[in-house]
Amino acid sequence: MKCVIGGAQLRVFGRAIHAIARISDEFWFDPVEKGLALRSVNSSRSAYACVFFSSMFFQHYCWTAVSQSCQKEKQLSLPCKLIIKSVLPVFRCVNVLERNVEKCSISTSPSEHHITFQLLCRHGVVKTYNLTFQECDPLQAVFAKHMCPNILKVHSRLLADVMIHFPTSQEEITLSITPMKVCFKSYTEEDTDFSRTMLTEIQLSPEEFDYFQVGVDSEVTFCLKELRGLLAFSEATSVPVSIHFDRCGKPIAFSIEDLLLEASFILATLCEAEKEAASSEPACCPRPWDSSRTGIDKSDQASMDGASNAATAASKKPQQKENTPSMDPAKPPSALAKQEVKNVPRGTEKDVPGRAGAATAEAVGGEATEAPHAKFHSLFFGAVSYKEKEAIGDTFQSLATASDTEELGALQSSPVL
Amino acid sequence: MPFSAQLPASGERYALSASLDNARHLSSLLRAVHFQDYATCLATASGLRVTVEDAKCIQANAFIQAEIFQEFSVQEESVMFRISLSVLLDCLTIFGSSSLPGTSTALRMCYRGYGYPLMLFLEEGGVVTVCKINTQEPEELLDFDFCSTKVVNKIILQSEGLREAFAELDMTSEVLQITMSPDKPYFRLSTFGNAGSAHLDYPRDSDLMEAFHCNQTQTNRYKISLLKPSTKALALSCKVSIRTDAQGFLSLQYMIRNEDGQICFVEYYCCPDEDITEAEL
Repeated sequence: MKCVIGGAQLRVFGRAIHAIARISDEFWFDPVEKGLALRSVNSSRSAYACVFFSSMFFQHYCWTAVSQSCQKEKQLSLPCKLIIKSVLPVFRCVNVLERNVEKCSISTSPSEHHITFQLLCRHGVVKTYNLTFQECDPLQAVFAKHMCPNILKVHSRLLADVMIHFPTSQEEITLSITPMKVCFKSYTEEDTDFSRTMLTEIQLSPEEFDYFQVGVDSEVTFCLKELRGLLAFSEATSVPVSIHFDRCGKPIAFSIEDLLLEASFILATLCEAEKEAASSEPACCPRPWDSSRTGIDKSDQASMDGASNAATAASKKPQQKENTPSMDPAKPPSALAKQEVKNVPRGTEKDVPGRAGAATAEAVGGEATEAPHAKFHSLFFGAVSYKEKEAIGDTFQSLATASDTEELGALQSSPVL
Repeated sequence: MPFSAQLPASGERYALSASLDNARHLSSLLRAVHFQDYATCLATASGLRVTVEDAKCIQANAFIQAEIFQEFSVQEESVMFRISLSVLLDCLTIFGSSSLPGTSTALRMCYRGYGYPLMLFLEEGGVVTVCKINTQEPEELLDFDFCSTKVVNKIILQSEGLREAFAELDMTSEVLQITMSPDKPYFRLSTFGNAGSAHLDYPRDSDLMEAFHCNQTQTNRYKISLLKPSTKALALSCKVSIRTDAQGFLSLQYMIRNEDGQICFVEYYCCPDEDITEAEL
């Protein structure tokens, strides 16, 4: 795989890397025929980012590894997982990149097991970074944007102007919406000492939005950190941001799209424990996830194994935590499983290694702690697969059934992660 | 008490006495070699040399020529003492290190000889501070025996070009590998860190390249932790001369221009990193 990015576009690419750095310490570099996708999932599986650059974005784009001697032996480029910390130095000082760098070429060679970033800089200086990568199939969030009842479209500048009022220490904000108004406010935990905190609330009228659709009045709480990253990135492209969301507990998607690139950041939203309890009937609670399963995500190819992984990984949970007192014993196992995978408490940054089955059940992040009141619903993830033969079968069916077969799930989940 | 009353009487004999109307000319150069606490000062008729060493592998020298001083006199052939560089710097900047334009700290420096403290008289805006810093027995300094006749490769670069490179050095790499060659890649800096390798190539016809005299291809590795302190000198300098001798010893000479346009030099010598794997096997 080889691509060349011109100086002006490099700023956009660099910003994308920086935005992705807000999500996780690693990301997937996933070249496909139509372009290059950068994907990232955070360690607690509550945030997902994907930035897709179409081949038009590049001065030159070739996704197959062509050996010049024998053109016939085209090898498919492998998606690779990179440590963000090793890539960030390449795109340090994004604002001066444009001035200092004429062009950047990125190439991978499967034989050498590294990815090369080469920057041609001012004064003829050439910077070459050979970074090691891990061969690894990427995950993507299984989330149907078009099923969301609430859609807002707003210029990134306006959204950034809103977010600037929240202090940098603010971790989560709440977006509430009615047909009459949109409100962004600071989210505080219940035990917060109000005499010491500053609450910020910003109301916007529907006229401020380029597009405004409210299907259901709702109030969703999500992390601000990832959104700030997306906003910094979208300012570089000056494209409006679309926000798709539903009730609390279901993910919220921020996306931008233009001719050359598409980016979507899908964030888990907070689910209040009481509301959760009220809706914990098996028929009712997993339903939101049914809806997300029936929708196929953007790249249209949520593969069966990938999607089932999320569910099977979930099924591992109750096995490990059967005796956890906080669990509702009345729930049937499968519902319990689904419930559990969604309950990723905030503040859990890392998976806990070394515990039984942790290696295979990596999809379930942050399982170790129990937040008392509100929990973030984590997202469902499916593998990204481009080989048609792999995308067989009924994804949705397998999702529902696989949650009962723990052994199978453990076996399947390892190649994906 | 007027400043003059504080000054040593002219009748007294000092092994070293010097005066400088802007102490910052001295302090900024000393800061460029301040990576260890103690420095050895050597004063001769040509000026003052301040030497700092670490790990018997790196030596930094700041040269302050006699012409930089308004008055500079050495009674003996050479005067040598060891002093705490941190304390000396603290004293020199006792009125603040970032002085406003138009104000400067005047300095008079006296040293009576072996066993006596170094005396500093600093004056700014009519306020005088007298500092006495205890001196120590000078230690024997490393002799790198780096003479210009034995230089194999030499490159002079505008410091600007190297500043970015040093700021971005992958500090997870243990070594910085420097390749100098009459052929491609001409001048290459490489690091080998946790994430992979990084190479920085400067073509010989780059605008940054002031001089390029490479006779043979040489690739040497230097401990990155030892070279990193030279960034302080690099930051102040306008040009840097990079030289290596046949054994791979590295000399980095930084040309530093002070506010009055006077030129001083700071030099770093560094031992190459021995490839111990061969010896171990």
